[in-house]
Amino acid sequence: MKTDALNSLVSGAIWRAEQLEAHGIRSATQAWAEVSSLEEELAKALPVSESEGRIARRGAVRAALKAGDYARANVLTEGYIAEEAVPRSLKATLRKILDEDAQATETRFRYAAKHHSLREARDLARRFREAGAFGLAA
Amino acid sequence: MEIDLAQLREMHTRLPTDLALAMVGRAALALERNHHAPGVRVSLDLERVMSSGLLSWPGADLGEIEQHDHNRITEDGAEAVALALAHRYRAWRVIRRMQREEHADWLLEDAREGGRQVVALEVSGVNRGPLVARLWEKLAQVAKSIDVDQRWAGVVGFEEPAAALHSTKRKKREN
Repeated sequence: MKTDALNSLVSGAIWRAEQLEAHGIRSATQAWAEVSSLEEELAKALPVSESEGRIARRGAVRAALKAGDYARANVLTEGYIAEEAVPRSLKATLRKILDEDAQATETRFRYAAKHHSLREARDLARRFREAGAFGLAA
Repeated sequence: MEIDLAQLREMHTRLPTDLALAMVGRAALALERNHHAPGVRVSLDLERVMSSGLLSWPGADLGEIEQHDHNRITEDGAEAVALALAHRYRAWRVIRRMQREEHADWLLEDAREGGRQVVALEVSGVNRGPLVARLWEKLAQVAKSIDVDQRWAGVVGFEEPAAALHSTKRKKREN
């Protein structure tokens, strides 16, 4: 798909997600998942050397977090950081986006964070997802 | 300068049709709830150069105003006016909408004079009162935008139709 078409789609998707979020409608998370998917397509189409390519990479990660999909945000970040010729500033920004999200989650679930670190909780969630619920017992 | 919001989609071809219609519809409501009619005179502040223009839009049905959020009418309406003004003033075209963490609402392209530059534009609307304080606030916000060549803020007032479009460049020179 051409970048012009993707840009139009991502504009519409961001606008819809913002409107749903402003009204506190739960499906806003699905709308952000759609934004993340479109930003990822733009990131594939635009090299990291172009400013629009870097904006799309940040957008894909941020929208995944807004969709509540930390695992996807993490996978996207690892992929973008491993790209050839990725600027150091973009690597730092992507890591900062994940760190800030982790801090916000720890603040939100303060009591749980006292007993288990967010890293532990996310690692457990990843293992559940990869192995299924019975995989942990093995 | 004549600014016709009915032409917004032709000015910015990457703007989705439904989004353009919604923004223009809300601009019409924002203007008409302040008792203005299409063809109204609008005060313009373009990089501190004052002028005036004529602002037109497809008529709105004020009976539908209750279906819309009050603040969204002001904000989305301001975006329609600011994008139309940016095109008329600088021939900029929308590339895409930005997520709020990029510190701007829109990414536009400036393809004049051969080279292509990307422009971050942050927009806000004021239903009542002066624009100055909001303009400074939005300039401070868009100044944080990265990976762009130019950073601009646009503020639109609806009580007495007015629009300001400033870049952060001049502000830096003054400091």
